[in-house]
Amino acid sequence: MPPMNQGKTGRSYWRSLDELAETTAFREMVEKEFPSFAPELLHSASRRQFLKVMGASLALAGMTGCRWPKETIVPHARRPRGRTPGVPVEYATAFELGGVATGVLVTSFDGRPVKIEGNKEHAYSLGASSALAQAAILELYDPDRSQHVARRGGEGEGASNWAEFTRFASEHFSKLRGKQGEGLCVLSEATDSPSVADMRDRLLSALPKARWFEYEPVSYDNERAGVALVNGSPQRRHCRLADGDRITADVIVCFDSDLLMTHPTAVRNAREFSRGRVARDGQMNRLYVVESDYSITGGVADYRFPVRSCEIPAVLCALASDLIGRGLELGPAAAAVRAALEGFTPAVATDFVKQIAKDLMDHKGKVLIDVGPSQAPEVHALAHLLNQALGGPFTYTADPRPERPSHAESIAALAELMGEKVVDTLLILGGNPVYDAPADLDFAGKLGSVTTSVHLSLYNDETSRRCNWHLPRAHFLESWGDARAYDGTVSIVQPLIAPLYGGRSPIEVLALAIGDELTDGHKIVQRTFRAAFAAAGDFEKQWNRALFSGVVADSAWPAASGQAAEHAWLGGLVESAAKIEPRATGEYELVFRPDHKVHDGRFANNGWLQELPDPITKITWDNAALISPTDARQLGVRYGDLLRITHDGRTLDMPAYVLPGHATGSITLPLGYGRTQAGYVAAGDDGNGAGSDTYRLRSSAAMYIATGATLVSTGGKTLLAVTQDHHAIRSAVGDEATRERIEELYHEITLDEYKAGHQAVELPQFNPLWKEHSYEEGHRWGMAIDLSKCTGCSACVVACQAENNIPVVGKAEVERGREMHWIRIDRYFAGSPEQARIVQQPVTCQHCENAPCEQVCPVGATVHSAEGLNDQIYNRCIGTRYCLNNCPYKVRRFNWFFNHHGPEHPRSIALGESFYIGTPDHKELNDIEKMAFNPEVTVRARGVMEKCTFCIQRISAARIVAKNEGVEIEDGSFTTACAQACPSEAIVFGDLNDKNARVRKAHADSRAYALLRELNVKPRNLYLARLRNTAPHAGAASGHELTRASDGRTRAG
Amino acid sequence: MASLAGEIDNTSDDPRVRAPLVVGDHDLASVTESVARVAEAPRPPRAWYIAFAISVSALAILGVMILYLIFTGVGVWGVNNPVGWGFAIVNFVFWVGIGHAGTLISAILFLFRQKWRTGINRFAEAMTIFAVICAGMFPGIHVGRIWFTYWMFPVPNQMELWPQFRSPLMWDLFAVGTYFTVSLMFWYVGMIPDLATFRDRAVTRVRRMLYGFFALGWTGAARHWHRYERAYLILAALATPLVLSVHSVVSFDFAAAQLPGWHTTILPPYFVAGAIFSGFGMVMTLAVPARQLFGLKHLITMRHLENMSKIILVTGSMVGYAYLTEFFISWYSGNIFERFAFIGRAMGPYWWAYWIMVTCNVVTPQLFWFKRCRTSILVLFIASIFVNIGMWFERFVIVISSLSADFLPAQWGYYTPTLIDILTLIGSFGLFFTGFLLFCRYLPMVAIAEIKAVMPRKHRQGAAAAGEAGA
Repeated sequence: MPPMNQGKTGRSYWRSLDELAETTAFREMVEKEFPSFAPELLHSASRRQFLKVMGASLALAGMTGCRWPKETIVPHARRPRGRTPGVPVEYATAFELGGVATGVLVTSFDGRPVKIEGNKEHAYSLGASSALAQAAILELYDPDRSQHVARRGGEGEGASNWAEFTRFASEHFSKLRGKQGEGLCVLSEATDSPSVADMRDRLLSALPKARWFEYEPVSYDNERAGVALVNGSPQRRHCRLADGDRITADVIVCFDSDLLMTHPTAVRNAREFSRGRVARDGQMNRLYVVESDYSITGGVADYRFPVRSCEIPAVLCALASDLIGRGLELGPAAAAVRAALEGFTPAVATDFVKQIAKDLMDHKGKVLIDVGPSQAPEVHALAHLLNQALGGPFTYTADPRPERPSHAESIAALAELMGEKVVDTLLILGGNPVYDAPADLDFAGKLGSVTTSVHLSLYNDETSRRCNWHLPRAHFLESWGDARAYDGTVSIVQPLIAPLYGGRSPIEVLALAIGDELTDGHKIVQRTFRAAFAAAGDFEKQWNRALFSGVVADSAWPAASGQAAEHAWLGGLVESAAKIEPRATGEYELVFRPDHKVHDGRFANNGWLQELPDPITKITWDNAALISPTDARQLGVRYGDLLRITHDGRTLDMPAYVLPGHATGSITLPLGYGRTQAGYVAAGDDGNGAGSDTYRLRSSAAMYIATGATLVSTGGKTLLAVTQDHHAIRSAVGDEATRERIEELYHEITLDEYKAGHQAVELPQFNPLWKEHSYEEGHRWGMAIDLSKCTGCSACVVACQAENNIPVVGKAEVERGREMHWIRIDRYFAGSPEQARIVQQPVTCQHCENAPCEQVCPVGATVHSAEGLNDQIYNRCIGTRYCLNNCPYKVRRFNWFFNHHGPEHPRSIALGESFYIGTPDHKELNDIEKMAFNPEVTVRARGVMEKCTFCIQRISAARIVAKNEGVEIEDGSFTTACAQACPSEAIVFGDLNDKNARVRKAHADSRAYALLRELNVKPRNLYLARLRNTAPHAGAASGHELTRASDGRTRAG
Repeated sequence: MASLAGEIDNTSDDPRVRAPLVVGDHDLASVTESVARVAEAPRPPRAWYIAFAISVSALAILGVMILYLIFTGVGVWGVNNPVGWGFAIVNFVFWVGIGHAGTLISAILFLFRQKWRTGINRFAEAMTIFAVICAGMFPGIHVGRIWFTYWMFPVPNQMELWPQFRSPLMWDLFAVGTYFTVSLMFWYVGMIPDLATFRDRAVTRVRRMLYGFFALGWTGAARHWHRYERAYLILAALATPLVLSVHSVVSFDFAAAQLPGWHTTILPPYFVAGAIFSGFGMVMTLAVPARQLFGLKHLITMRHLENMSKIILVTGSMVGYAYLTEFFISWYSGNIFERFAFIGRAMGPYWWAYWIMVTCNVVTPQLFWFKRCRTSILVLFIASIFVNIGMWFERFVIVISSLSADFLPAQWGYYTPTLIDILTLIGSFGLFFTGFLLFCRYLPMVAIAEIKAVMPRKHRQGAAAAGEAGA
């Protein structure tokens, strides 16, 4: 199929036909004359493809044609015999990040994938999805994605095409095959994909001297190595925090571990964790978090202790010591541990471990200790020893490739080879090592010494521009592949659309390198599974079943166990832990962590993610060095001030963000910003993109925690575009008022109070002067948001943005307070600045019964529906904004400009043109970008108000289906986009008239309360007060007493 | 005519002596002459040209700003979420307030037989007209889809869609519309005898035709006078409640909303007092230079100015009292949102606006307790400018500080005006002054016919011979 971007280069269209004419597949097709045309074509793939094929067939009348849609995609859901245009179909596929897949269902309208949802049948999705997975739709249609094969250096420099590359590759790699692959290195992203594994094996057998490297800038290899120290071989730990509604982990202790947000199984963890937060039968789990940064997990902790990341080994040793003191039996390692910990006295404060240790011992058998990826393998190992001794809901599976070096070792080894100039050919499959490899390796410099470098990538990025060849990569939604979930369960990745920009997948590129007889991803993936599926019965049937459900049944790895022979590492760990000194003034540790939005930088060109407020800091379009209030005060640094961070001779200037509750002496540096070569969204029009590139401070010796950094304030200042606590609106009286209000706005009760018979907060009773609508018949839609479950992960925000065609407005507009999100998450701090607690409160349109917005609209553009919804009529709205002013929840969003590429969108800034002299530049959406729109939702124009509709398009769709089938709408048969995405099931939507509806039960809960109930607006959405599981003997010394003595919204300096 | 150097003090409050409202050596003819001369002079004073050039430039800026706004979007202003209304609504309320003095002077003071009003009523009314035009423009251009602004009007249409009458914006539309219509009629009706005078004195055909057309065939017949006096009285009676209603209704835009800082029952009287205050402030600002420039000191006398300054003192103090009451009630209510709305005004991020407001509106008028200040041209002029600034900031404080920090602290947001906002505000002054300067140049600035009625008796005799029309 010709690339979608053919518009401007008609030439390449013909060229690609020429190219096709050379393939055997094409000749076969010509022979068939009318190839697999007709019904199955109509049912398969997409209308787009159908039209293309039609067009091509007519134009070329049997003589020639496009790439036929040989690929049959089996939809997940019931598929009608003849596809009904306009009726969306869902397909199962998988979203892979860092080598771990999460199952997703993709909704496709007439061949256009427009929305990603979790796959209920996938154990790591359970129907929910993360913000990153949700945002993949925008990435698919990103016009900044690479659209051409590009060549650098040597003859033929400039834009190229696949035909040229294919010619080059067949020649080059056949020469290499002659040399058995001498001098060939392949650098891949982390992946457990069976097809990639198969192709890797084929490559290494065809080219035995070739070498294979894997690198992932954010990796869980430390844990893998840690388990190896305890179990004798690299293994992966799996935990279950709940089994259905039954709590399996009563006490969870996280050390620098963001189990609910950045962990590869975060979606499932959040689900299981939240099941244990609602005090079903009075039972509730208890979460302790010890960390330097403020993580999402830390935000929902019952007790959180901010310590520097470098102190965590000491804390863990102290915990182990205390546990042993309380009589914990450590099994075979007992003697070694006891010997190592003999006389261990930490130099840093670890008193709080007593409380944790007691709680762990009290709940022995149902506890879990988790250590984050930033900690050294030995720390993980000790945690695993303790876990195994305490007993808890965890299992291990063997690593499929125990011999694989860690990612850090791997990239260092490759860099060394490159430095020795023994790498002639480097094939980089995905990833962006020039940007994200450790700074001391000088990957970019060494890449210059590689004679032939090839980079397959979604974007023409930093690495691409330093390679001889750049190949556009097919997005996972447009290519065949496969991937494994955390437990090894295989998912087939099936395309929803033909490659928009003519990209190819890593396995297809590997096929070119190997000279494989199969060049087509579909066939390669089928080959991978042919033997296994055929063994289980009919291949086609198995294949279709796997596509249909999104998982290959029983493909998880078997459980493993093991026992290391000796524990020599313990001595070293304890010795170094004892040496950890309290922090010297002026010295800081740097902690690198993946960003909540752009991860390691790969999603930096995604406007939805860039504009998503960070769940903790609420920063958009930027990253900042997170610093504790104490340090900020000492440095005289305030929010937005530029810090000069120096570590190991490397220096970086970046803005500070004073984060209450952050550990003193520690600076958190989110990775993934400061891209110089990517799309316009990530890198602007001058290669000077959003945020600061913290990789420049990251060395292979200190990939996660770097101690001994120094900090000075440069005196400069940057404006951080935050969606909350804008600097200018802060004032002493305002902070005081905020403190006063939090208790009103965010209800929180302890488990004990709840069990003792919590009194529901009554709605005020007023006698209305008029007869109110009764809603006795029909539906009465409502929502409930359980604050006990919400972690603040923000998946709902992106899900809503994708579902409802919500525009991205750009940094300057966010700074002005003009972000467009229909659902937002209000984050408040409580407690002292040093020990601040975080509470997260999603706020969307409350669909008030007495809606203040409805009464003030002069043209009646916002009215109440008979089903209780507060409807906004876009084409009646004239934009007086009175409704916005009168909305007490401030959930209404106004289109200040035409926002689909409004004037401050990076693409408008870079490429826009002014329509009239002096008016701001505007770049129209191109045809591909428009494909991302949900056709069920109006794209709002300039000058109209918009807001959450409770996904009225989904309500209508469900109503139509129910009406056609003559049944009632069943609770749970559909839900809003936010509720569907929510990993922790915090949002429940349904019909309040339905006696069995979950939302009705939630509204009846004694925890339910209406936000700003005293206004008598009678919101349709109720919040459920957060429950906190306080420990019976928890000392107030932790600073975590429930009283909101003071608020953490400090003004540093 | 009698040209007078310096001021004649007619501000004595000796109850035995009726203070003269026209000073100097005037007879009926010279009064006519001194007013008509302004419009009949072949060219106005140079200062008029300078002022007019500045005003027209500002008006041109306004035009450009509006075009830019229409082509680009409301986003060119500093408005945001949560501050949905910015300078446009501040300016709207400000100008409506300015527009208050005219009708108050013409209607209420007329009904209360305050004869001193005759010196200033004509141009106070003109000021009202132009101020209301400025005010009316802002709600029209501040909406998101300017091309559909007419949907606010009850225009019959095939879809039978009507405006929503529960919305205070609708009430506002009708209140301001009615006020404008009645003010315009009042102004025009009152001007008919004077237009006839101008017609009769006209030396060119064009002037005679135009003044003649608008004079509606006035001959000064007794029957005309009889009907005129009746009509004027009825219009005054009609206009009187409007003085109170229009700003009360404008205040409903805020009072009927539920935002802390807006939702207070004190707003209607407080707005009316503030409007009269600002209106007199603006009359003062205009009167002081105008009487100087056009030689009308004997008609707009020191006594007029002093009386106005007394009204400014009273209404300014009422406004100050309202500020105090707001604070007290917000504290007394025990409502944390309400309380913060007011504490936040004084000590929050917009503290500067609040204290500018208090200084200008409450402190400045206190000068007028002193007669020396009431009779000093310089003090009067500067104080009146302060009143204008203060009243603009009062609207800024009410509209913006309330919106910027309401119920949920997570959604608080700061409003910063853009250059476009500021230029539009300046442009609106251009519109106002252009209109006003044209009025000064072509229309009778002082009610000639009326003022003759309040002249000291001795002047009557001198005029007995004159058979001037309109006298």
